Amino acid sequence: MSYIISFCLCDIYNWPMENGVLFRFEDVHLRVEDKHILQGLEFNISKGEFVAVIGASGAGKSSLLRMFNALTSPSTGNITFRGIEIDSDIQALRKNVGVLFQNPVVFEGTVRENLLIAGRWDQTISQTLDHEILDALDQVGLVNIKLTHHARDLSGGEQQRLALARTLLNHPQVLLLDEPTSNLDPKLAREIMDQIEELREALNLTVIAVSHDHMLMRRYAKRVIILSHGKIIGDGDFKTLDKSHAFEDAGLLKNEVNDAT
Amino acid sequence: MRPDFYVLSWNDLLVSLLFIAFSLFLIKKWKLGLENTLLIGTLRTFVQLTLMGYVLTWFFDQQHWAFMLMLLLLMIVIASYEGTRRQKQVIPHFFAAMLVALLGSAILILGTILLFILDVEPWFSPYAAIPIGGMIIGNGLNSTALTANRFVGEMKHREKEIETLLALGATPKLAVYDAMKASIHAALIPNINAMMTVGLVQLPGVMTGQILAGIDPIIAVRYQIMIMYMWFTTATLANMIMLAIVYRQYFTSKLQLRRELLREKA
Repeated sequence: MSYIISFCLCDIYNWPMENGVLFRFEDVHLRVEDKHILQGLEFNISKGEFVAVIGASGAGKSSLLRMFNALTSPSTGNITFRGIEIDSDIQALRKNVGVLFQNPVVFEGTVRENLLIAGRWDQTISQTLDHEILDALDQVGLVNIKLTHHARDLSGGEQQRLALARTLLNHPQVLLLDEPTSNLDPKLAREIMDQIEELREALNLTVIAVSHDHMLMRRYAKRVIILSHGKIIGDGDFKTLDKSHAFEDAGLLKNEVNDAT
Repeated sequence: MRPDFYVLSWNDLLVSLLFIAFSLFLIKKWKLGLENTLLIGTLRTFVQLTLMGYVLTWFFDQQHWAFMLMLLLLMIVIASYEGTRRQKQVIPHFFAAMLVALLGSAILILGTILLFILDVEPWFSPYAAIPIGGMIIGNGLNSTALTANRFVGEMKHREKEIETLLALGATPKLAVYDAMKASIHAALIPNINAMMTVGLVQLPGVMTGQILAGIDPIIAVRYQIMIMYMWFTTATLANMIMLAIVYRQYFTSKLQLRRELLREKA
């Protein structure tokens, strides 16, 4: 029964939507114990956008990112995905909204077992053919890797790509990035971000990336949301926001901004 | 040999106090500072078990199913309380989880033994129900208390893994499957090892007691085999019921991990 329900709702998420809005946040607040982590967030995210969420540490970036796939729910306020309440069918939502964490989780086992881990509950994944797996690895730039290779023996960059390929096998419409490159050296970070940008174009993905590194983000994101103490203090393109004081107000160094422009 | 040959009198018991006196002497010699604790322990063993003997005799004389069920229920409540008290982790509703796990395994396993294996007449005869029930409850308590502790430890350790699986679309049950598997393995492997070595390395207490009391070793062994099987099934069943209740406490209805619970004091 629950399978039938989730199947139906999964279809709802794939219905055509009005005016291309994927996510709509309405007066979203998050309180944890007596701390007010996020305050009165209001914005939309449209299909195909690459949005960077920038802020100093403790600004609430990661908490905000967790709301896009309902790993965290707002204390008050409303979030919709494709016009439907975001928590109508959470499993279907999470298939549609993939995430790449800062430190990717690689499970004990082979590369293949890691890629097909969702096959434990999802038949379409468990029936994935080898050439489809290799395609996914190719898409993320992991070539010359054996499917029987022990996944935890891969390097940090390779593990990050493996986690990305695993997410792509769910065929998501949205990709969330939680400081995905902060543990990698700058060259490798850029390579992975280039790869993600290529994927975004090829698969028409919507990308929402949380980062404290606005230097890196301004290469890819057309739009930036600046968070400070849980509030949005800037939302627009980088050039416009550079003219305001938003980056400085968010605790991000001014000379960094000047260097980048 | 018949059992009366081995009946312990109060005087015999007094002689066994020599063991304690000897330990006391050794402890003093090595200046271990355990004398008072040992004396209290010695006294409590004597008082508690003697009282229990009288309580059991009284209960056994009642010959009524309601008394037997009441005593078993009381044992389960005390065991659940003890299991909760022993817990180092903060587990919501753990008392209830223990209660259901112990009650469930006691009903199923004790029921099977009384009705189908020993064919006890009447089925509520306390001579069978109380000692066997006590073994099931005690074993269930020890096993579930350890498993729950280990399970929460595993969840803390695997928090990121669990969230990654949830983010890929897993249900909470599948997201904690590896943590459950690891903790239940840790609980059952010692039981399996005991089944591997029983009779070779050690003679179990129940069997030793029966042989001392004059029972034919062949019969005593049969009881022991049944008890080994019963122990294993109790550990399996009680742990599974307990985990099925406990893991749910760590997730919201929106399939979110309650991370704040994993952050609480260990």
